[in-house]
Amino acid sequence: MRIRLAIVITGFVLLVATVPVWAHHAFSAEFDVNKPLTLKGTLTKWEMINPHSWFHINVKEPDGKVTEWMIEGGSPNTLIRLGVTKYTVKVGTELTIEGYQAKEGTNKAVGRNFVLADGTRLFLSLNGAVPGGAEDK
Amino acid sequence: MNHRLSSMYLLIVVVTLVLLMTASVAAQAPVSSGKAPAPAKKWTAKTPDGQPDLQGYWTNSTYTPLQRPQGVTREFYSAQEVAQVEKQAAEREAEQTEPGTIADVHYDFTQFGLDRSQSTHTTQMRTSMIVDPPDGRIPPVTTDGQKRQADRAAERKRMGATTDQVQNMPVGTRCIVMAGSGPPMMPAGYNSNYQIVQGPGYVMVLTEMIHDVRIIPLDGRPQLPGNVRQWTGSSRGHWEGDTLVVETANFNGKNPFQNASEDMRVIERFTRVDADTIDYRFTIEDEKTWTRPWTALLPLKSSTGPIFEHGCHEGNYGVRNTLAGARAEEQRAAAAKKVSK
Repeated sequence: MRIRLAIVITGFVLLVATVPVWAHHAFSAEFDVNKPLTLKGTLTKWEMINPHSWFHINVKEPDGKVTEWMIEGGSPNTLIRLGVTKYTVKVGTELTIEGYQAKEGTNKAVGRNFVLADGTRLFLSLNGAVPGGAEDK
Repeated sequence: MNHRLSSMYLLIVVVTLVLLMTASVAAQAPVSSGKAPAPAKKWTAKTPDGQPDLQGYWTNSTYTPLQRPQGVTREFYSAQEVAQVEKQAAEREAEQTEPGTIADVHYDFTQFGLDRSQSTHTTQMRTSMIVDPPDGRIPPVTTDGQKRQADRAAERKRMGATTDQVQNMPVGTRCIVMAGSGPPMMPAGYNSNYQIVQGPGYVMVLTEMIHDVRIIPLDGRPQLPGNVRQWTGSSRGHWEGDTLVVETANFNGKNPFQNASEDMRVIERFTRVDADTIDYRFTIEDEKTWTRPWTALLPLKSSTGPIFEHGCHEGNYGVRNTLAGARAEEQRAAAAKKVSK
């Protein structure tokens, strides 16, 4: 398994801790700020569940071995209202996910950024812009 | 001549009154995001049994804070100021956090459409939800209230860290109850949605997070006995003209609103003002906590249904992961200590 422990600097203006954290639990208690990672994998399942959805991805190692990871994201309810379905991101979609690994050390992480194979960031609510959007179901 | 002067004075007075009334309505009416204020038109629709019709899907998502921000002294913003305040707040929500910081250990709200600007929300000209006291701030806390806050803080400290045991975690984290249920109904940050259904003699309010339901009888029955305490209290309603008045007591004190006592009483008033808006205001009475009652106003805006069940427990892997993470950290710390000896 190759986890690139690199901090990815984006082109955005970087500001600290001004975003209100509304999540129903403290993510920094679940995930380790000292374990940033970047995972490139293929979506196998998207659990559109509350309070937070989970993306299951298969990460292929250089030796061909496949490792399963679970990535935590946001509540699906607002997405569903905005027209997003489980088909918006189809099983098989290639994703690059930047995030932080779980403190318990298993293959779980929070997904800070979800990036599609063409390099664009995944904005789920704009499902029309996502390959395999809701209209394709 | 005197007659002409009198007529002129009358005309001036009438014109002035009309202008003042128009300005007042314009200042108070909730407006849709990006739309002009709706014309003030009395809403007259009734349910089949004759109740004013409050039914539908509603949201109270808003950028308006409960309390007036420090440094703001006016009750209302201008339309231009509101637009600027909302624009800045939306930009803050979309800001990227700095990699390697605690704030960055989170998903991006905008990727999941959870920032308020991507969904229906209400825009008020008001600088705070609180309309009474006139300074828009929660009144001073009584001595009893201060002691209770200190006692609660001491008890939390005695119980230990939130990651020590599941009982120490906040009730929202444990999927027991969240902010939106109330009463009072307050925005939950995201998914701040409600469904109101009326039947003969009852009003039902469903809160999206975490699918809490209040079934409010309107037949004048008394509150539950004082020894029956519930998470969302005991609600009883009646109509005052076209306004639904709901009085709630009997809270269990386990999820105190703004550190209130369990004897807090909430008086809510729902008035449908147009197809897209319910004027919702609530008064908090709790002499054990505050030196005077206080009242807030936040409109409910028509939203999109249906409401999807926020089944929280089933997907709440976070509790297990957090506790397991804390135990793993303790083991790592213990191992490091052993090595250093």
